[in-house]
Amino acid sequence: MKKRILAFVLAATMAVGMVGCGSKSADTAATTTEGGAATASASSDLNVMIETPVESLDPQQATDGTSFEVIADYTDGLMQMDSDGNPVNAIAESYEVSEDGLTYTFKLRQDAKWSNGTAVTAADFVFAWQRAVDPEVASEYSYMLSDIGQIVNAEAIIAGEKDKSELGVTAVDDYTLEVSLNVPVSYFLSLMYFPTFYPINEEFFTSCGDTFGTSPETTLSNGAFVLDSYEPAATAFHLTKNADYYDASRVQLSGLNYQVIQDSQTALMSYQNGDLDITLVNGDQVEQVSADPEFQTIGAGYLWYVSPNQKGVKELSNLNIRLALSNAINRDDVTSQLNDGSLPTYTAVPRDFSADFSADQEKFKSVCADDAEAAAKYWEEGLKELGTDSITLEMIVDDDDAPKKVATVLKSEWETTLPGLTVEIVTEPKKQRVQDMQEGNFELGLTRWGPDYDDPMTYLGMWVTDCANNYGLWTNSEYDSIIAECTTGDLCTELDARRTRLYDAEQIVMDEAVIFPIYTAANATLVKANVSGIDFHPVALNRVFKDTVKQ
Amino acid sequence: MKKYILKRVLTSIGTLLAIILVLFILMHLMPGSPFNDEKLSEDQRQVLYSKYGLDQPIVVQFGQYVVNMCKGDFGVSYNISKNTPISQLIQSRLPISIRIGFFAVLLGALVGLILGLIAALKKDTILDTICTIISVIGVSVPSYVFALGLSFTLGFKWKLFPMLYSTADELNSSVMPSIALSMFTMASIARFTRTEMIEVLGSEYMLLAESKGLSGRKLIFSHALRNALIPIITVLAPLIVDLMTGSLVVEKIFAIPGVGSLLVNAIQSNDYNVVIALSFIYSAMYIAIMLVVDILYGIIDPRIRLGKEGD
Repeated sequence: MKKRILAFVLAATMAVGMVGCGSKSADTAATTTEGGAATASASSDLNVMIETPVESLDPQQATDGTSFEVIADYTDGLMQMDSDGNPVNAIAESYEVSEDGLTYTFKLRQDAKWSNGTAVTAADFVFAWQRAVDPEVASEYSYMLSDIGQIVNAEAIIAGEKDKSELGVTAVDDYTLEVSLNVPVSYFLSLMYFPTFYPINEEFFTSCGDTFGTSPETTLSNGAFVLDSYEPAATAFHLTKNADYYDASRVQLSGLNYQVIQDSQTALMSYQNGDLDITLVNGDQVEQVSADPEFQTIGAGYLWYVSPNQKGVKELSNLNIRLALSNAINRDDVTSQLNDGSLPTYTAVPRDFSADFSADQEKFKSVCADDAEAAAKYWEEGLKELGTDSITLEMIVDDDDAPKKVATVLKSEWETTLPGLTVEIVTEPKKQRVQDMQEGNFELGLTRWGPDYDDPMTYLGMWVTDCANNYGLWTNSEYDSIIAECTTGDLCTELDARRTRLYDAEQIVMDEAVIFPIYTAANATLVKANVSGIDFHPVALNRVFKDTVKQ
Repeated sequence: MKKYILKRVLTSIGTLLAIILVLFILMHLMPGSPFNDEKLSEDQRQVLYSKYGLDQPIVVQFGQYVVNMCKGDFGVSYNISKNTPISQLIQSRLPISIRIGFFAVLLGALVGLILGLIAALKKDTILDTICTIISVIGVSVPSYVFALGLSFTLGFKWKLFPMLYSTADELNSSVMPSIALSMFTMASIARFTRTEMIEVLGSEYMLLAESKGLSGRKLIFSHALRNALIPIITVLAPLIVDLMTGSLVVEKIFAIPGVGSLLVNAIQSNDYNVVIALSFIYSAMYIAIMLVVDILYGIIDPRIRLGKEGD
């Protein structure tokens, strides 16, 4: 027995020894972390939290907000956004628009250089734009040049009917770029800050082969920062201020320190710990931080709405049933559940977007409001027309926190307000949900749409007949003709009249309850008090750090 | 022994091939495709399908995949890191995951063994109860709870270790994730060691050894523990698999640039090639561990070695 005790003592000594080692290394760690934190706060690197890694640093391949933000950190296009989101000159020094609105001539500034010393020339834009429409590149955002930008021949090139050299963009000389359009496009300049239109130096691109945009060595900067540490899908990477940037005196930050954090608890703790200067906050955490003066909600531009399948579901082809569903929702309840600054929305175009197109949220209140009474009336009428007293509908929803929360509120309000209605919620992975909706394989679908360019058409263009994103398969010839008139027709140049016509189009969407708008999404964000001058935008580049100051 | 090892290696390769086939079929049966985004039109999707050969019949795709894989080419990522070769994505990440996993196994096995030994030797005392409580907590609380708890206490409150993994300070960054990951292994090993040791200690040959007058240390370590180790090694192998699954969550919490976080992102975005490649690597590691365990048996227990040689 004594010997057993000895063995135990031995084991115990080992254990203590291990713990001892542990705490020793812990002490060293403490000094390192503190030291590290001290250096971090002393420099004026901005520590930025992002939720997902960068998907691509190839401007013509990237499609997600994070990638766009980082590309724009180190690349300037012809135009950039001012703090209100208006296009102002960047690489373009000046521009001229022909009287018919079909030709844009950009004069490029001569002091813009790539980080390898070569000048940024018109040829760089021609090369990049041709890539964007090249079927071999298969850029997902090629429609920015064709449908949206209306650049001559873009559509035919994408379809493989013409060679990419026939694209309506030419380098007249090194510093003159000429763009020809099919029809006048009122928002064309605002497309120029969209990363799909950013230049690439052909010689450099070719020298990188397949590795373009996968490391600091295979990226070139002509913008405010230079990428100095990065690998594909990196969880942390860094950019340094570009000393050779033509507007270098404007940039106050010494660099940008990006950190991918997918766990919201970790993100919040890291922010409170001082490791981050800006972070997103999850809806469940908002209560905890909402009193903090550093807390703010920032409009994200996304419109969340329910799309009823009018073609496949008999009940939903009935207008009264659709109006009942749209009016039975209390949108305030939805946004207070989300608790992240999202705004209740009663228009088909989201709020705080495109010169505040949807400023008047009561414009369509006769057909879209939180009005249980009206909803009940529509419902009764609808049931009568259908000759039934109960309806069961299935709603497909993304398998994510926010959509599930919203769906639960919708279900309970629909079922309380509309007697005889049963709503079944089916959650699906997002990709599956999108596929089901695109294939018309759904009854009700909770979906969202983010703006691609600064014009209400980025939303209203969706509901024309045969558009792939017209999930409800609704069709209305009057609506189609208004949209055509505003896209390629006479109204392209008459901006005020066009805006009025767009309201007419929106009225039809709302009258017919083509979609049930629910809310305009917002990002609950924490920004340190010593940081100012981050520009937030709902379109294209969600965050711009060129004017950011960290004291 | 050699013949036995060769046989095991061949079986392992066969198993791996079968795994790829199953993975491949599963991925293509999975709902959605890598290219179901709101912004993608049908035409664009077709262009992308043909670009990546996804419009080919599945048999052709599979054949192509196996041929490429034999050349060490796992294909490219479709969306989590567009067009990046998978091998490049994994290269820098795998060592990080393996290192943390290794620390966790080491820590879990050692501490578990010690706790189990203490509990067995001090059976029915307060020490035993404490060890049992620790192991019950370790088994029943999921690793992400430990991870968050550690992150909050050691990282946030006391600032002993960095909360976010930093490649500049890999050793300190690995401490909290390793501990969080090791808890389950530790607890399982502790429980198992206790049971096995109690059984061995009560056996007749132990009584005989004791009555022969063997010293306590020799008695415990060379007679009791050695016999108790065999079943413990058997459970260690599946525990290493739990470790891999645990790492998916723990990597997310500590923002570790390992393969676990990569796999989670890939699954969510239907990035077929990444998912298949990583699952394949996980399976290969598991099979390799099982192989090692089989060989270890022979070393620890001469009876098994002799028995297998007789095959």
